[in-house]
Amino acid sequence: MENYIIKRLLSILPILIGISFLSFILINLSPSDPAEVALRVNEVTPTKEAVAEMRKELGLDKSFIERYTTWITNSLHGDFGNSYITNKPVIDEMKLAIPATLHLAFVSLFIIIFVSIIAAVLCTVYEGSIVDRIIRGIVFVGEAIPGFWVGLLLMWLFAVKLNLLPTSGMETPSSVILPAVTLSLAYISTYVRLLRNNMVQNKLENYVLYAKARGLKERKILQHIFKNSLQSSIAALGMSIPKLIAGTVIVENIFAWPGVGRLCVTAIFNHDYPIIQAYVLLMAVLFVVFNFLVDIITSLLDPRMRKEA
Amino acid sequence: MKKVKINMMLLLCLLILFVAGCQGKNESKEEERTRDEIVYASTKDIRDINPHLYSGEMAAQNMVFESLVVNTDEGVKPALAESWDISKDGLEYTFHLRKGVTFTDGEPFNAEAVKLNMDAVLDNIERHAWLDMVNEIKENVVVDEYTYKLVLKHQYYPTLTELGLTRPFRFISPKSFIDGKTKNGVKSYAGTGPWVLSEHKEGQYAVFNANENYWGEKSKVNTIKWKVMPDPQTILLALEKGEIDLIFGADGDMIDIDSFKALEEQGKYNTEISKPIASRAILLNSNKPITGDLKVREAFQYAIDKKSIADEILNGSESVANTLLSPTVPYSNVNLKARTFNPDKANKLLEAAGWPLGKDHYRYKDGKKLEVTIYYNSDNAQEKTISEFIQNDMKNVGVNLKIIGEEKQAFLDRQKSGDFDLMYSLSWGTPYDPQSYLSSWRIPAHGDYQAQIGLDKKEWLDSTITAVMIESNEVKRKNMYADILRYIHDEGVYIPLTYSRTKAVHVPELKGVTFNVSQYEIPFEKMYFEK
Repeated sequence: MENYIIKRLLSILPILIGISFLSFILINLSPSDPAEVALRVNEVTPTKEAVAEMRKELGLDKSFIERYTTWITNSLHGDFGNSYITNKPVIDEMKLAIPATLHLAFVSLFIIIFVSIIAAVLCTVYEGSIVDRIIRGIVFVGEAIPGFWVGLLLMWLFAVKLNLLPTSGMETPSSVILPAVTLSLAYISTYVRLLRNNMVQNKLENYVLYAKARGLKERKILQHIFKNSLQSSIAALGMSIPKLIAGTVIVENIFAWPGVGRLCVTAIFNHDYPIIQAYVLLMAVLFVVFNFLVDIITSLLDPRMRKEA
Repeated sequence: MKKVKINMMLLLCLLILFVAGCQGKNESKEEERTRDEIVYASTKDIRDINPHLYSGEMAAQNMVFESLVVNTDEGVKPALAESWDISKDGLEYTFHLRKGVTFTDGEPFNAEAVKLNMDAVLDNIERHAWLDMVNEIKENVVVDEYTYKLVLKHQYYPTLTELGLTRPFRFISPKSFIDGKTKNGVKSYAGTGPWVLSEHKEGQYAVFNANENYWGEKSKVNTIKWKVMPDPQTILLALEKGEIDLIFGADGDMIDIDSFKALEEQGKYNTEISKPIASRAILLNSNKPITGDLKVREAFQYAIDKKSIADEILNGSESVANTLLSPTVPYSNVNLKARTFNPDKANKLLEAAGWPLGKDHYRYKDGKKLEVTIYYNSDNAQEKTISEFIQNDMKNVGVNLKIIGEEKQAFLDRQKSGDFDLMYSLSWGTPYDPQSYLSSWRIPAHGDYQAQIGLDKKEWLDSTITAVMIESNEVKRKNMYADILRYIHDEGVYIPLTYSRTKAVHVPELKGVTFNVSQYEIPFEKMYFEK
């Protein structure tokens, strides 16, 4: 097991270097000159002298490799440079935005787990009945509707018409409900289907038949089915966590949620390169780390995985 | 299985209770909202409102910081300066400052504070290069505690107007400076204005309280809450729910014209619309092979049905423009020949320019199709619709118009490079028009400069603009402006489309919603709730 972990850890390093390099190149390929952009966003007319001055200030007059190594060493120390727009350190902007996104992502995760389990269990218990069909229908629709539209519909219904919740912002504790529900809808669809199908399959297994023959209570049997159906969902959930954090962009915009998604969108519109680079790097690290954790958990659950690796 | 069912039912009940719990909490919250607070929604955060820099929202900067004079519909009026004298040669402006004014941190407002602020602005002169005024300041002197003198290099006629702009000549307490400067940030936002920034949650909201020691007429409400809602749809829903009282903005950045019209027709809210503020036009690049021909440029002027654009696309919220600047703009009431919609005339002009009609109803010259491209900023949905409309008008006279929407920075890059046939252009609006807008034509980074570069008399144009700024004789100045505007009009470098207006939507209880001369300012201090 230790060997496996070490091996996996070692393989992470080149991936991270690759991603950081790629994100750095991509931004350098952008047709707009970062020095000009930095001037323009501050309403400074980009005259020749001003551009030259700014290039020097941003270190753009140095070679590509030199710039990359400076950026990556500084990033490792938590210094992602300063935002072109606010001139504040990127790390400070991130520190402000990350807690909001984490809050949203974890409430969504809770809703996903809670609703998926209830719906999947209901579908399994009433397999083929009207309840099963209705839930699967809703799940299907939930998967198909684009998030921004669901968000606005929910806002219209629950905030405006029913007056139950605030439309947007983060001022009251209940503000998180609408964005979190919007964010979780697409995921719920995935997990309900995954869990339901696994449970329905498990229902046909021999151990269920034996359990019934032994006269075990329905509830006990359902518990066994449920436990045996969880594995694939847990693996998928592991990867959903970083996706949830990275996927808040649209929801954060609609619900005026001050998280990293919104920070990144604003940065993209303004070509605020330091923030975009930090965001890409952060998300890459998040994905790699969670991928690693999921691998470790699955290999703990299923020793066959370790051998394959 | 029965037990499972019961458990599920219990869970459902719990969920319902949870939702019901939220309801209770929210209702009481709504009741708490007093009519002493105006909630304004903006797609943007106020950011850093340092009055000497450009990263903050102008409307917020205007709430907290004031200038020596203020631009009004009736011209320049006193603000922090009670009166002023201008020397005979027009080079010295002596301001008599208002006595007893303090910054909100208790610091007195006096000539010393004025000088420190002016020095801080001049210390960062390259940031303010867009404004001719900063280059014209020779000296600024403290005469006595309440007298301040500004000495200019030339007789710069827009001096007072530009001193009254929202930025950079506004005053912040010298205590807020960092190492005697403001260009690298400030310690606090202590101004002399009617509002004090009391709380700011970045990306969420800002709260402004009325300045209790304000020297002028005090505002009738105690608080302004500036809420950030990046999505305009959210703003509309929040208005419907009663979470916000006011939407205010120019050029579709807060509310698009369709929604504005819909709200107006609904009758549930009050809508206000300002006088014409800025000019919406299309630049025709005189430095490109096809549009370099004056006859072609003229033909394009006649080919476009502006009235339909104003009535149908802009829903009648903007008026048709026949000249680049509205005759209401200072020095712009020049007698110019309007080129109104006339496809026949456009066809004749194109024929005369050597572009005969081909079999496919497009025009050709030496086997080359008459094809031009218009570029717009893809953030602006309105410009896309207008482009499509124009595309059809152009097709009717045998011109193939290609439309390309580009992301903002790419659009600005294109302006600078001059690589366009047609491109949208918006004037800066009052009080920047005409002087600052015309002044910007001389800078190569602007699309205007690039589009004008093919004109025979571009050099004359630039030098006349430079000269008019320091022309002391009012009559001469008027004539020079007329010459500039006539030349630009005759050369057809701009297709004037409409004059844009600032729009506001508010709840009916909110009164006193008016507009300032600048479209970027919001006069919150004049608003109040009907009791």
